[in-house]
Parts: sequence; structure tokens; C-alpha cells
Amino acid sequence: MREQVLPNATAAIAAQGLKRQFAADGRLVQALDGVDLCIERGEHVAIVGRSGAGKSTLLNLIGALDRGYQGSLQVFGQELSRLPDRALARFRNRQIGFVFQSFNLLPHLTVGDNVMLPASFGTPIAAAEIERRARQLLQEVGLGERFDQPPGQLSGGERQRVAIARALLLQPPLLVCDEPTGSLDAATAHQILDLLRQTQQQSGATLVVVTHDPLVAALAQRTIVLDRGRVAGVQA
Amino acid sequence: MRLARLLSLIGHNLRSSWVRAALAMVGIVVGTGLLTFFLGLGQGLREKVLERIFPVNQLEFEPRAVQIFGIEQVALQEPLDEARVRQVAALPGVVRAFGKQKSSFPARLWGGKELLGYNLFTEAFFDGVPAQVLRSEIEAFEDAGAKRRPSPAVKARRCEEDLDCRSGQACRDGLCEAIIWADRFVEYPDVAMACSTAASCPAGWTCGDGRCQSATAAPAQRCMLLAATGSGRDLQYDAEYGELASPCAEGWCPKPSTRCPVGTYCAADHPETRLGWCETPLPAVINPLLLEVFNSDMARSLGAAPIGSLAVLYGVRFHVVLGDSYFGKDSERGLQQIKQAQVVGFSRKAPELGVAFPLSFIRHTNARLKSVEAAASFDAILLDTLSNEEVPQVIVAAEKLGLQLSRKSRAARTFGTVVMVTSLALVLLATLVLVVAAIQIAQTFAMLVHERRREIAVLRALGAARLDIAVLVLGEAMVIGAVGGALGGGLALLAAAGVDAAAARFLADVPLLPSGFFAFPGWALPLSVAVASVFTVLGALGPALRATTLDPAAVLAQS
Repeated sequence: MREQVLPNATAAIAAQGLKRQFAADGRLVQALDGVDLCIERGEHVAIVGRSGAGKSTLLNLIGALDRGYQGSLQVFGQELSRLPDRALARFRNRQIGFVFQSFNLLPHLTVGDNVMLPASFGTPIAAAEIERRARQLLQEVGLGERFDQPPGQLSGGERQRVAIARALLLQPPLLVCDEPTGSLDAATAHQILDLLRQTQQQSGATLVVVTHDPLVAALAQRTIVLDRGRVAGVQA
Repeated sequence: MRLARLLSLIGHNLRSSWVRAALAMVGIVVGTGLLTFFLGLGQGLREKVLERIFPVNQLEFEPRAVQIFGIEQVALQEPLDEARVRQVAALPGVVRAFGKQKSSFPARLWGGKELLGYNLFTEAFFDGVPAQVLRSEIEAFEDAGAKRRPSPAVKARRCEEDLDCRSGQACRDGLCEAIIWADRFVEYPDVAMACSTAASCPAGWTCGDGRCQSATAAPAQRCMLLAATGSGRDLQYDAEYGELASPCAEGWCPKPSTRCPVGTYCAADHPETRLGWCETPLPAVINPLLLEVFNSDMARSLGAAPIGSLAVLYGVRFHVVLGDSYFGKDSERGLQQIKQAQVVGFSRKAPELGVAFPLSFIRHTNARLKSVEAAASFDAILLDTLSNEEVPQVIVAAEKLGLQLSRKSRAARTFGTVVMVTSLALVLLATLVLVVAAIQIAQTFAMLVHERRREIAVLRALGAARLDIAVLVLGEAMVIGAVGGALGGGLALLAAAGVDAAAARFLADVPLLPSGFFAFPGWALPLSVAVASVFTVLGALGPALRATTLDPAAVLAQS
């Protein structure tokens, strides 16, 4: 089944015939096999599917971490495969905020430094403003007092909040979350989902969440189901 | 990547893996430490030993010699005369050249009582060196330039004669001025050059009243020695010559007209007479190494206190006996002369164990006591090259003129080569240590990159380009290198200071011991830091490139 691709200038993400192959154990694995999809700006979309369905591969492509694809993938009108490394890095920096399942905070940096990390890469915003934003974001996620603490002293839920704050620092128009609640207990996961939704609604950013969890998917406006590298269904 | 953030990340990374960074730094510290130490040692040996004893750009040439049955014999050739000196002076790279004439007459000297409390007696060897050649060097030793600049804060004292002035001053034009000893080392000093015919006198001079006379020279004043204990040969050993106003003795009384002016003394025509000429002491220049030889060896064996500095030797007088030897055949008694000499300066061109006098005086005395022919040619040609780089080509050119380096210059070049080769070998050794250190750095960084691949992937996800990752890794290496280089360089300086201090303490009795063995130019420490940084960056280059090629998606998917 193919999701209908809208030729819409307001689309945040538009993929057509998107394919991705990997070599694994001496053979080629077709991780994505002709994905067509369109995600509107400001939309909250969940991508679900079984393990090996291609969810993370699709998320990496959308997140501009991987551009070795065939077909077309435009994010905010940019064909990602055509961008050189430096431009792609800048694109990730300015346009995309990542939230990972395992938080991926740098353990030797403080909470504040972790949040400010995206500003290290050529952002034209003054350092003082960056720090102000970081403190404010940490305040908003309930960790205002933890600015100077190392992340090792935080719980899993708190670390994920720090990761969300980090993803929001440069106010990116696209948030990509890979199993954001996968490492959390149910109660904490609920808090994090609330926070993500709230944040997305406040900022108007496009939110793409890869998840196994039907409860997480249920919160999205649309759910795209992947199976064997293809879009198997879309649930509104 | 922003520099402040880059440095902050580097700092955090280093703190998080400081043990590894410190271990990686050890090799760099050792390597740069050795490099700096050996560079300082090589430079120090060149500057403080070689240049001090044998200035590299000052060469001495002699007529080419051949070995006959192992004995060096001067090959037959044209004499080293003025024409040959001019020929050498015209060689490319030569700043100036001059002839040097050794004394070929027997001579003895004694003196030192005013310093040591008793006189030393020794056979004497003199070099005759053109006064203008030594001028700049003896002025530099004396710091004559500073003496010529009168201090506006000190008002000059009025005087009629030198005795009205303080020590170290002389009366000049009614005012006391600092004595500039270098000014006294001149050709044709106010010293009676005895003669029987004009043949032994300088060209254009005449021989009258038993002394060479110049038409332009001020008339000389006759004088009479007043008191002398003993007579005949014993007279030569008596330091109690009674010059100037002394009580009458043995029937010799001063007439007012026979009193010599201040600063001069009555020099007898020969040892058998008390009749002489008022003259200034012979200006003498000695090699500064002589003081070190005395202090390090002679003083102890003589039971004398070491002489503190060259400065105390200025103005010291001693006696020279021309034509008399302890060992060789003496000149005729009537030709011998006893003269006073006075130390007026120091030069490395002066003989190490002898005295340099103005060439005109040695030439005249050679002509008078040896032969006119002996005075006609030089024994060696000394020259200064434009810089050390010109030395090889000048040697080749001089050899084509039938000259060869003197034994002293040959020894200097051999020593210089030994120092250079040894320094080079040691520097190569240090470089080898640095190469090993770079390999160690490469291994350390390969491990660090492997351990931090997830961190690197996160940075890439957050917007770091490949170049940012490379800069981050290489920046970390550079910090390790810079700190290691500074530590290594600093330790080398400390070690060198320790070696010098130990040498000064335990080798104080060794003759000619330099003030130190090390010379560190201002760029030594920056060089150490730069070299260390280069080697660590080179070592980290491979791991840095590997870090840039990490696939962030693949690494992040591994969690």
C-alpha cells in the first residue's frame, strides 16, 4: 500500500520511491523498498511497525543522518541526498531536533552543557542567549535546578527531558524521536509523551515518532505503518 | 565549530580521559625534553665553549706544511708578506685579514706582585698583532662605549695630573676622566725602540741617540734610573726599580729634569746602564682564557687566591726582558732591554699563554734581536669571515693560495664538527623518541575514538560536520602535544640548570670550565611546544580521519 503523496509546498517531509539497501553479513538487505509518504508541517506522525520493518532506517533518512538512499526524499523542500556533508550537518543542526531512546547525553558534560551542545556548531546566536534559552528550557521541563549537574545523577525520565530540551534549543521545525519512551517506565513515559506533545503544540514543529508502543502511536495525528520496508498502512 | 565550545569540549574530553591523556603525553614529554636538552647542549657547546675559545668565523692560516718523517715542515713558497695578506683579504667572504708575527727573540717576564703579593717569573712568548685589529674586541671587553658616555649626574673633577683623580681615572684637559684602556693599545706607542742603525727601525724612521725616531713624534725625554739594588744580571730580577723621585743611592741622584712625567717610567737603554728614556709601559693585551687557566689550575698550585674578574687586571704592570731567556741563547747583553708592560685589554686573538703587543713593536724587536729578514714576513694570517657560512669557501680559497689552517683553527673545526655531529645524533635520537611517542599517540587516540564513537555519532546528529569531528580530535591531540611540549621543554631547562649547577660545584677545578654547557635561545620552548604539537597531531591524524568516517546512523542504531 502506498501513502498518498501530496504535492504540497507546505509539506515538511515528502518521500517518493524511497529505497535503502544495506550490506549485512555479505548480502544485501532492502531496509526500505519504495516508501512514499508526505508529512505536513506541524503534523504529529507516528511510525510503527515490527522490528526490521525499516522504521529506524526511515527515521535516519528523515533526520539527515543517512543519505545513501535511492528515490526522492525532501525535507522542507531540500533533497537531502544532494547536500554535501557540511550543508547536511548544518541542516541537521538548524532544522532537526533528535530525541533518542537511550537519551545520548554526553556523560562528562553538565546538564546545561548537554542542552547547549547543538549551539557549538556555527550557530549565529550569542552565547549568552544560548545559555538563557538552555536555562529556560530546563525550567520548562522541570529541571531548572540541575543545570550544573552531570547527567549521571539524573533518573532515566529526567535524562530524556534533558534530551528533549537539547532537541529544542535551536527551535528546529522538525523533531524526530526514536522510541522516546522505550527505556522508561509507564508513568515516566506518560510524562515524557505529555511533554513532547505540549512542546510540539507550543512550537508548531513537526513531530515524527518511531515507536513500538501503541499508546504512543495513539497520541499521533497519523500513524504510518511500515512492513518489510514499505508503507503498509496509514491510520488517521 | 565555535572556538570557545571547541576548547570547552576538548577540555571536557581530556578531563574525562585524563589518565590516558597523561600516559599518551609521557612519550611526548620525554621526546621533547630530550630534543630541547640536546639542542640546548649543542648550542651551548658551540656558544660557550667553541665560540669562546675558537670563534668559528675567525680563522688562522699558516704557510702550507708537509710532513717529513712525521714532522711538519713548512713547504717552500713565497713569504707571508703584506702582499699576501692583501690577497687573502680580497677573498670572497673575508671581512678583513691581517698578518701576525710571533716573537722570534728570547724573552722573559715577571710580575704579579700587586695582585699576588709576590712576583711570578716565566719565559715569555709574544704575538705582534695590528692594533686596529684588536680594537673593537678590547673595547667590547672593556665596555669602552659606556665609559665614553659621561654621566650627566656626576660632575668631572678638576685636575692637573693623574694623581689628582680617583682610581680608574686619568687627568685629561684639566678634568678627570675614566681611563679607557683600549685607547692605549696603539701602534708605535710612546716606547723607545732601541737601534744601532735605521735598518731595524720602521720605514721612514731614523736612528738617533740609540733609538728610532719619527719626524712627527714628540721629542723624547732622557732619564736616569735612581736606585737599583744589585748590579749586572741580578738587576733584571729586581722589581724594586727606583723610577721617579727616590732617595739618592749609590751616587745616582735625580736632577729635576730627569724626573719622568706621571704615567711614564724610566726605561734603561740596556741592563748595564741606568740611563734611559721616559716612556709609557708597553700596551699588552692578554687572552681572557689566561685568567681561567690561572684560576682553575695555577692559583691552587701556587697557593694564591683566584682572581675575581678580568676588570682587576686592567692597568696591572709587569716587566718584560727582551733578549734574555731561561732556556735559549740570550741576545747580546747590550741589546737586551727591560721594559714595563701594562695590561690594557683582552682579546681572544691574543695567544692563550702569552701576550699580544702592537705589531710595530714586535716587528722592530724581531728585526733588532733576530734579523731584519725575520721581521719582514708574518707567521700567520688571521682573518674574519662575513659569517660562519662563508668559512668553508674561504678555507678552500686560502688553500689555493698555498695556505693551510693553523693547528689551532684545525682543532677548532674538528671540535666544531664533533659538536655538530654529536648534537645531530642526539637530536635524531630525540626525534626517534618523538616518532615512538607519535605511534603511542596514534594507538591512544584510536582507542579513544573507538570508545567515543557513540559520542561522535551524537555530535554528528546534533550538527557536527566531518571537519568538526576531525578538528575536535586533532585539537585534543594538539593540547596534549602543547602541554607535553611545554612540560618537556621546561624539564629540559630544569635539567640543564641542574647539570650546570652540578658542574659548577663539582668541576670547579677543571681548567677552562665554561660558565655553563647549555644555551637555550628564546625560541627553544616555543619550538618544543610546536614540535610536540606537530608529532601528536601527526599521530592522531589517522584516528581523526577514522572518526570522521563513522556512520552516525549505524553507531546510534547499535544501542
